[in-house]
Parts: sequence; C-alpha cells; structure tokens
Amino acid sequence: MFSFVVRRLGFLKDIPLLAILFDSLMRLWMFIAKPELLHWIDDLEENVERMPGTTVGIHKYGGTAFNYSGKEFAHVHSNGLVDILLNKELKKSLMMDGKIKDHHLFKNSGWISFYLYNKQDVAYACYLLQKAYDRAREKQNSVFC
Amino acid sequence: MSLKQTFYKVRSSKIVQGILIANIFAFLIIGMQSSLLPKDVGVLVFSEFVIIPLLMGIIMAWCWKDTSMRGTLITACSILGSLMAILLSFIFLGEGIICLLIVSPLIFGFVIAGAFIGRSMFKKSNQKLNISIVSLLLGIFIVDSLSDHHHENMVSDEILIHASPAQVWQHVVAFDPISQKENYWLFNIGMPSPMATTVSEHKLGANRKCIFSNGYIFDEKIVKFDVNENLVFDIIDQPKDPEIMGHIDIKRGQFILKDNGNGTTTLIGNSWYNLHVFPTWYYDLWAESITRNVHFRVMEHIKLLSER
Repeated sequence: MFSFVVRRLGFLKDIPLLAILFDSLMRLWMFIAKPELLHWIDDLEENVERMPGTTVGIHKYGGTAFNYSGKEFAHVHSNGLVDILLNKELKKSLMMDGKIKDHHLFKNSGWISFYLYNKQDVAYACYLLQKAYDRAREKQNSVFC
Repeated sequence: MSLKQTFYKVRSSKIVQGILIANIFAFLIIGMQSSLLPKDVGVLVFSEFVIIPLLMGIIMAWCWKDTSMRGTLITACSILGSLMAILLSFIFLGEGIICLLIVSPLIFGFVIAGAFIGRSMFKKSNQKLNISIVSLLLGIFIVDSLSDHHHENMVSDEILIHASPAQVWQHVVAFDPISQKENYWLFNIGMPSPMATTVSEHKLGANRKCIFSNGYIFDEKIVKFDVNENLVFDIIDQPKDPEIMGHIDIKRGQFILKDNGNGTTTLIGNSWYNLHVFPTWYYDLWAESITRNVHFRVMEHIKLLSER
C-alpha cells in the first residue's frame, strides 16, 4: 500500500498537509492493526533524543524527522519504514549484511531504508541511527574546523 | 479511592482536559460560524474538516506539553478526542451514521496530524511562530467560511445490453422492483439503494418516482421523452434524510439508448448533482462512487429485464 501510494501518487506530496495526513492515517491504522510498532517508533525517538544536539520533529513528507543541528539525518514513517542518511561507502558495507535496502526513492544516494518488522529490529535501527548521527556530527565539526 | 475522588482525578488529568478543551473549542467555533456567518443548511466548508481538526490536535498538544507523553499515547488520545467529536456531531449536529463514517478519516487524520504538529511546535517554545501558525489557520478558517462554495458534477456510466433499443426502452421509463442482492458495501451497511421506479404516464411532463430501499422517494419530472432514444428527468423533490440533508442535491438524470445495429444497445446513464460539502477532492470521490453504484444497480436490472 505504502509503496503503491509513493510510486503512483508521490507527485501529490508537495500539496500542503497531504503527506502528513497520509502518514497520520497510517499511524491510525497501525494503532489498530499493529500497536507495538508505534512503541518501537517511540523507542527510536527516545534513543535519538538522548543524543546531544538532536531534535525530533515532523517530517515534511509525513513521519518523524530526526535532526542534528537543524539538519535532518533520518526519519521514520508511521508504517515502520526508517530512512537514514549515511554515506555511500558505509551504505555499501552495511548492505553486505543484507539487512538494509536502498532508499525507497533515492537509490543512488547515501540514504538507506530499513523496515521495523519486530522488536529486534529496533536495536539495529538504533545502531544505524547512531552511525548516521556520528556522520552528521563529524560533518558539522569539519565545517567549523 | 471514592467515586468523587476518581471523578476529580479524571477531571484534573491533562489528557482529559486536552480532549475536552479541544472538543469545546471545535463546537464553539462551529456554533459561532453558524450564527455569525449564516450559510445554506447542509453546506460544510473544507475548514470544518481540515482546519478545525488540526486546531483540535494542536490544542490537545498544548494541554499535553508538560506530560512527556509518548507518540503511542498521543495517537490513542487523539483517536479518543476524534471519536468524541464524531459522537457530538451525531448528537448535536444531527449527522447520519454513514455520513460520519465517510467524514471520519478526515477527522482522525487531521486531529492526529494536529497533535503531532503541536507537539513539535511546543517543543521548540517559539511563541511567535506558534501564534503565527494558529493565527494563519484561524485566518484560513474565516476566509473559507466567508467564501462562496459551489461544485457541480456529472457522472456517466454505460452498459451493453443484448436487446434492441425498443426492448430496453420498456424498462427505462419505469421498472419493476429490483430483487438482486446489494453488492456495494455502503448499501450493505444501510445506505438506501434504488428499488423501483414508477411513472404516471409514458409521455413528456409525466411524474416519475424513484423509490429507495428504505421507502424514501425521489420525485422526478420527465423533461425529455424521445422514445427508444433519450429520457431526461429533473429531480423536483428529494427526501430529507440525515445522510443527505443538504449535503448533496441530485439535479437531473438521463438515460441514452444507442442502437449498435447488431441487436445490442448501449445504455448510458448520466446524473448531475451539486455537492455542498468540501473539500471536493475528498467528498467527490464518495459522491461519484455512490452515484456510480446507483447507476449500475439500476442499469444491471434494466439489462436483466430486457434480456429476459
């Protein structure tokens, strides 16, 4: 369903609030069908909020955005799809494990996609978020050095 | 703990306060809108389904800002707040159950969205930005409420019938009761479906009645009567049903019979309606779907009778 909407109706994402409405309806559906997923997303949020300099907000295309120094380094959609910004080298090495995929839209970028299917996936998602956070922090520090 | 203590604890709970304040706000603003900006009965503008639910969510988030609620709990409480709004609409605004079922995705979606937008807003503690956002939403609400709203649409469907136009025409002007089982989910849960049509005379200007499954009758007048070719009728009176109640006006219906020259006829059914609920990008999807299913229920029946 999510893939179908993103592929076929993705061009509508710039209509104000439409993507956020879609994500809210996914959240409603998950609350009914798979409420534990929303707890896992909360766990990710709390994990990111413990990282110094981060903020958690609304993602412009629906979901929760994770930012470092005001710049987004990851976001999670309410169906459990976590999109994380790494770099191409790190992405290549992590893809060898077979746990992560290319970003569902931007295949040839440093972005990766990872689905939360079960409780164990939360730990791996936290590991990936830590990598993305470290990268964002290093990048920020290199700008100031 | 005594019942009284439990009551005070619930009343003083931030969660309950958020839900109650948001709902009171919504009904106050709708009440003010109805009394200060009178509009036609049944007309519901897009702000009532988009801006008010968003503001309800933001108000809830404001009440919950010091509670460190997790996203799951925010979702649950937003759903509860939405359910309360829907229940109050049923009780005080007299909306029908199917009407509320249709509107509920917008209410749930925008209340949840508002609650999460609000959570982000109040985390930043940027009062100027927060006031700007709320003022902008209220501004849109006022402008939208003052604007004229008009939407007319036509739905057209066709079906191939293995019978001549003369055979089909006999069942177009009026037809015996439909006995086939309903196969559209809204008809199955109680939305009235067309059952039979009667006509006073087979000529121009005659009165036609379309009878629905719950006994409601649409009074129609034949305004074009080209035998074996074209039947047009205007709807002159429609039932005061809580599911319709000014939200949609069916204006006109038409049956066109096209002779395919091979013993078959293409029957085209057209309906024109005015929609009084907005946003049309949402409600027109429903109106079209319902009209289409009314068409097919009638036209499948005409096909069955004609091919018998």
